[in-house]
Parts: sequence; structure tokens; C-alpha cells
Amino acid sequence: MSGAGSGERTLELLIGPQHPASGHMRLVAEVDGDVVVRLRPDIGYVHRTVEKIAETKTYLQTIPLIERPPLADTANHNLGYVMAVERLLGVEAPPRAQWLRTLLAEMNRIHSHLYGLGIHGIMLGSSTAFMWAFGDREIMIEMAKRLTGARITYSYMIPGGVRRDLPPGFAEEMEKALRYLERRLPDYDRIFFSNPVTRARLEGVGVLTREDAIRLGVVGPNLRASGVAYDVRRARPYAAYPELDFQVVTRSEGDSMARMLVRVGEIRESIRMIRQILARMPDGPILAERYAKMIPPKWRDYVRETGRIKFPAILASLRPPKGAEAVSRVEAARGEAVFYLVSDGGPRPYRMRMVTPSLRNVVLFSHLTRGCRVADIPAIYGSLDYFPPEADR
Amino acid sequence: MGGVEEVGGRGGRNPVVSLWGHLKAVGTGLKYLIAVPRMTVKYPDEVIELPDGYRGMLIYHQDLCISCGLCATICPANAIKMYLPSGGGGGEGGGEKPETPPKRHPGIDYARCIFCGFCVDICPTGALEHSKVHDAAYERVEDMLYRPEEFAAGPPTVEFERPPKRLRPVMDERRGISYEPVG
Ligand code: SF4
Ligand code: SF4
Repeated sequence: MSGAGSGERTLELLIGPQHPASGHMRLVAEVDGDVVVRLRPDIGYVHRTVEKIAETKTYLQTIPLIERPPLADTANHNLGYVMAVERLLGVEAPPRAQWLRTLLAEMNRIHSHLYGLGIHGIMLGSSTAFMWAFGDREIMIEMAKRLTGARITYSYMIPGGVRRDLPPGFAEEMEKALRYLERRLPDYDRIFFSNPVTRARLEGVGVLTREDAIRLGVVGPNLRASGVAYDVRRARPYAAYPELDFQVVTRSEGDSMARMLVRVGEIRESIRMIRQILARMPDGPILAERYAKMIPPKWRDYVRETGRIKFPAILASLRPPKGAEAVSRVEAARGEAVFYLVSDGGPRPYRMRMVTPSLRNVVLFSHLTRGCRVADIPAIYGSLDYFPPEADR
Repeated sequence: MGGVEEVGGRGGRNPVVSLWGHLKAVGTGLKYLIAVPRMTVKYPDEVIELPDGYRGMLIYHQDLCISCGLCATICPANAIKMYLPSGGGGGEGGGEKPETPPKRHPGIDYARCIFCGFCVDICPTGALEHSKVHDAAYERVEDMLYRPEEFAAGPPTVEFERPPKRLRPVMDERRGISYEPVG
């Protein structure tokens, strides 16, 4: 509202809240001509009171709830939440379940990165990148559908293990899927990542220095693109990650291009991990003995033959000990996700805290846009893979 | 890790490098004019065959149901509720002694269901199963509520104007997904 009449020369530009890109939010930009003086992200348009609703749902019922905000990246958040519940209950998933969790988590990372790259593409005006990435994410959706029975909201990981074992022929089909993605990546590179237009829009734009990235508490690919090799999978390994060979992808430039390319590098690493998982996954049960032995005896054969768990009734009313608290963290696709749970001994969480990577990264909107051009706003926004529902929860 | 190094150095606005980059991008585009990977099918003339274990709309076998109510208890979306038999019961008929109360049975509201499958997985008798129906459309939101009798009659059948071609997705190294006709 700094109108020219008051002797000021800047103008307030409102972007959103009608879905400027990946969800409803508003950017309030103060511009001086074409230059952004200040930009403030106005968040909360898709706040769903997830933490409060969790207090009214049982521990199991909270799983589908957790999956809604971080759309695309459902499995990694499912995993983080379930790890916290398991710590409350003092139960651990058997090794095979850990590997299956890691499998879905990495499939979901590829899916989520493609989703983010596609949105970034369309924000730069590249319909091709958008169509390609959104088409290719279908590969991981299709494979996840075979594993879990659902396309996006899998609710696959439950306290004590996972709900289903690999379906027949999964590894062979997955190998073909991975080869396809590997063939496609160089074409993505030629048509989009290394396209001179993309380079002109992204290189040197929205530079985040290493020091600022650390100081601002940035997470995920956005952090690693500024040269910080922090990845929860490496820093505090969980699930099957201690046994997998993978690299923490980093770049030093810290610009919008670097952030995009870290995600591309991570897709390659996820492909490598999926191969290792399918080649080396240990045999054994997929649900902790504590719950498996409570499955009604008449279902034992069914579970063995189909590889699908039947829930023992206790899962409907898990009651962790009174006063128990647990924290878990995972490397979700967009960065570190933290869950904190408090139990009052009842069947519902007394408190559930969900800190998502987008929430941690929202600070970058103000930081990176200072002094940029108006046309750089979408280039920077897209490079952050920021997802408003994930931040608002 | 990424692929940008393939095209000269960063930040350069070298016109030769740029021209080469444009040519490669256009060339790649041309390649895809001929070999188009296509992920979508022409629904409703073509319909994707769903895999075993797909979490579609539910099948309720009332004869197996023991009215334990676990499905309603576990449902995270409050889609399943337990209903008394419709058409009375209760206190009618004067002299009858108050025997065991009438049994409740589950009904489902598909306006709420999120297809998590928790109810199917916890049902101790197998009275609940997933079908592969997932594309039913309703004109009125009330029609999405199925009381136990309606629930037991099975999931809705989807009517197509022309019988659709059923296609099974198969992973394909070159095309991503190729769709094979079934049956
Ligand atoms: S599938 Fe999930 S949401 Fe739907 S009725 Fe069953 S438990 Fe409820
Ligand atoms: S459908 Fe299954 S879970 Fe639901 S009341 Fe009947 S027996 Fe119990």
C-alpha cells in the first residue's frame, strides 16, 4: 500500500492465493519497478489442523491423516510417524519390513522429485518438462499401486511392520521401470535441465550461501544444493539405510539450478538404492512378532500365501504407556521431517507434532527473492519444491 | 551428479554453446514426435485393468459378518457406521421378552471413505473385501451412503456406453508403460 502519492516508489504485488503454483498460498511482493525489494510468503491457506485432529484419532487412524498434507511424498511421512509410534510402544519392525519401507520410501522420493521438477518446469513456462515429469511419475505410481493397492495414499507402514509383501514379478517389472527412467534422464537433460532457456532462468538466480543455508535451518535438497552434505538417511540412519550404498548428492553453487540438479542426482541415487533393495532384501516376517502372533489363527495361511497382513484387533486401539514421549526424523523427499508424540496412556495421541520440510524451507521465500526480478520469483519458488499443504498441515 | 556439465561451463552466455544447447533440445523434441511414450489411456473407451490387491470399493458379505464392529471402530474417516436392522425391531410386539438386542451391521458412506483398507484388514471373518471398482459416479451425495442391506448387495457396477477395451499396464524399458489388451 505504499502508493506513489505518499512519496514512496514501491508497489505491492499480490501473487496468489489462487494457487500460484503448487497449492494455495500468497506471496506479497514489494516491487520497485521490476526489482523485488521485499517478499513475504503469506501461508496458512490450506491449514487443516492435522496436529489437532490427530488428538481425536487413534494411533493407526492418524496414518492416513499424516499422508494428506505432503502429497506425492506420502510414504516418507508415513514412515516417520510410524517410527515415532513404534518408539512409544517399544516395538520394532522386522528386517524385511524395514527393507520394504525403504523401498516404498525411495520409490516415493523419485515420484515426489518428478512432481516437483514438473511443477518447476511449468512455472518456467516449459509445458514439456511438466508433461514429461507428470507422465513419468506414473511409473512409480503404478509400481506402488501393485505393492500397496493404492496410487498415492498408501498407508502401507503400520506400527510393527508393513501391510503387504512384494507381489509376484515385482522385481522384474521394477527393473524395466528403472531402465526406462535411466534412459529418460539424459533426454530430460537435453530438453530441459541443460536447455539454454532453463539455464538462463536458473543459473545464478536465488543463490543461497552455505552459511545462510545453515543459519536459516534449511533442509533437504535445498540445503544440499548449498554444499551441506546433511541427509538424515546418512546422519541418523533408519530403516534399511545403514545397509545401502548411496551418496548424499550435493552441489556447491546454491542457485536455483543447483537445487534442481540435486533432485535429479537424488533420482539416480534412489534408482541405485531400489536395485540394491530388490537384490538383497532379507527374507522373513513383515510384521513384528508381538502383533503377528495375535493374528487370528484362521488367517495364518492366508497371510502366508498372499503376503498380506490381517490386522490383529489390538491395532485398532494401541495404547502406548502413559507419559511416553518419542521423536523421530526421516529424510522425506523435500527434506527432514520430524515427528513428536506424547502419550497419556489412552488410545489417541495426547499430542502429535509434525514438522515438515516445507515448513522449514518457507523462510527462503523472503531470503532468496531480495533484489531479484519479478520473473525470478517463479524460478526461485519452483526450485524450492515448496508445497503449501505440506507446510500448512 | 546432475547432467549440466555436459554443456560447457555454468553461467556462460556463450552463443555457440547456447546454439548447441537449443539444437540438442529441439532434436530431442523431434525424436519424441515419432516415439511418444504415452502414460494415459482413452478412458472410458479404454479402461486400465487393476492389479490384484487393489483397494477398490468394498464387497460386504453379510452372511460372514459377526457384527463385531471392528470395521467401524478402525475406520479413520468415519465412513463405516453400525446400523440396526431397518424396519423396526426394538420394543414392538408387547409381550415379547427383551431378548438379546438386535444385531447391528455395517453400512458405508463412500462420500467419506478414503480406501485405506483398514476395515478389510481388520475384519476377523473376511466379511469385507475390496472389489476392483473405483470409478463409480454418483449424481446425488445421498446415494453414496449404503445401509447394510444395500452394502451387502455389492459395489455399484459401472455402466459404459460402449464396452471398453481393457488394458493391462506392463513396464516397458522404452516406453515406460505399455498397455496390453486383456481378454
Ligand atoms: S477403506 Fe478405510 S475409509 Fe473406507 S470404510 Fe474402510 S476403513 Fe473406512
Ligand atoms: S464386517 Fe467384519 S469387522 Fe465389520 S462388523 Fe462384520 S465381522 Fe466385524
